[in-house]
Amino acid sequence: MKLSRIWPGLVVLALLLAGLEAAVNAGLIRRALMPAPSAIAPVLWGLLESGEVLEPLFATLRLVFAGFAIGSVLGIAVGLAMGWFPAAFRLLEPLVELLRPIPKAALVPALMLFLGIGETMKITSVSLAVLFPVLVNTLQGVRGVDRVMLDAARTHGWGPAHTLLHLVLPAALPFILAGMRISLGLALVLAVLAEMLTGQGGLGFLILDMQRSFLIRQMYAWLVILAVVGLALNGLFLFVERRALHWQPALRP
Amino acid sequence: MDFLELNAVTKDFPSRSGPPARVMDGVSLAVRQGEFMAVLGPSGCGKSTLLQMAAGLLPVSAGEVRIAGRRISAPPPEAVYVFQQYTRSLLPWRNVRDNVGFAVEHRLGRRRARDVAEVQLGQVGLAGFGDHFPWQLSGGMQQRVAIARALAAEPAMLLMDEPFSAVDALTRLDLQALILDIWTRRQLTVLLVTHDVEEAITLADRIAVLTQRPASVAQLLEVGIARPRDPVTTRELPRFLQLRHQLLNTLLARHEA
Ligand SMILES: Nc1ncnc2c1ncn2[C@@H]1O[C@H](COP(=O)(O)OP(=O)(O)O)[C@@H](O)[C@H]1O
Ligand SMILES: [Mg+2]
Repeated sequence: MKLSRIWPGLVVLALLLAGLEAAVNAGLIRRALMPAPSAIAPVLWGLLESGEVLEPLFATLRLVFAGFAIGSVLGIAVGLAMGWFPAAFRLLEPLVELLRPIPKAALVPALMLFLGIGETMKITSVSLAVLFPVLVNTLQGVRGVDRVMLDAARTHGWGPAHTLLHLVLPAALPFILAGMRISLGLALVLAVLAEMLTGQGGLGFLILDMQRSFLIRQMYAWLVILAVVGLALNGLFLFVERRALHWQPALRP
Repeated sequence: MDFLELNAVTKDFPSRSGPPARVMDGVSLAVRQGEFMAVLGPSGCGKSTLLQMAAGLLPVSAGEVRIAGRRISAPPPEAVYVFQQYTRSLLPWRNVRDNVGFAVEHRLGRRRARDVAEVQLGQVGLAGFGDHFPWQLSGGMQQRVAIARALAAEPAMLLMDEPFSAVDALTRLDLQALILDIWTRRQLTVLLVTHDVEEAITLADRIAVLTQRPASVAQLLEVGIARPRDPVTTRELPRFLQLRHQLLNTLLARHEA
């Protein structure tokens, strides 16, 4: 992105921070609830400089990546199967339609009963949230593959496995990646939530813990870190997506 | 010897309301080995349906299709279909080289398929375009890619569905010359579907004219113009004009006095 494209947004952000600073200093906002940005910045810097940020950051990222990987692989596999084999579709469609609308956050308490409060439970929660958008998008992508293209494969004698791997999968890739982008956001939500509910490790737990301990500046500092993590994950994904779909004329720079 | 035989082929499509719709009714047609046959008919009469059944891409409702004497129910290795919609039959995420390699990669592997592709691209006048993506090429060039892909499979027969209908008139003449050249050099058998009377006469040994739906063969005639045929002077021959007159009248369902 060009600097000339993003600077208006940055100005708005800077104005907002300045306004917040002024409002807190003028006593319009209670300092106990929302410290001035200038008071949060040193705390944030301290967390970064001391390296204190690393352990919780990695704990959360580990959850996000593990859950995202497992959920994506399962979602793609089941979506391909359902889109390609009518029998798989008929078998699984009612189940998917039943589970899909449940906000996966609501399943965390039940998962805690079965899996405890360790990594397994957290990764399972994240995977479940990731699974459905990827699955549904993959299914849609597979069903949308052009008949003419499939006929081209048939007239050249392609077998089903080669067709699935080298035609259906790449043809559905834009849809799959769109589903994965939605899921990446959900993965972070579920990771933070699971950490809060289990009271263990990671950014989610710290944000809640700081609030309970009245360490309000710390809470906001961790929140800023979380926001940057979300931004970075999305940016990373967009980068990967653009490379994977480099052939699309519309995505070319 | 007949290479492709359609024996009393009938096709019904299920319809949403009411009984199945009959698109084709008892079509029998035989294409000889090495022959160039054109199938001519108005839009929507069932030309693509006929060709897809000949290619084993679509099941017949009644009758049979034989290729090289064998009754087929799936796409046979001897015949390759060239689609009308080249923009939809090429893979947009693959460059031209890998789109041509498409024809053989499942047998030879990706690497050797690329070597085959380079050779075929040279044969259709696209040497050096291997790294381009289909959307970077003109329509005529994309159809050349599709032809190179079909040739890479080294088929005995090409089944072509209005392959030149989506390109401009001059490009069409170019591609017609290319197909005639390939047909001669490779001793292919070709069944070409078209709604263009002049294209049929210029290219074919024999022309089968289909009726409106449900399609059957209305007329089967010998072109009888010597080869090689020049794309310009062939169109000025008395025989060409006579055939054009006759075919247009048949297509327009007019009777001569
Ligand atoms: N899958 C299908 N289901 C129902 N009707 C079809 C189907 N495919 C083609 N048709 C109908 O069959 C007729 C012949 O189609 P087609 O073979 O594409 O004609 P042409 O190639 O001569 O223009 C058309 O009226 C079309 O609507
Ligand atoms: Mg057609």
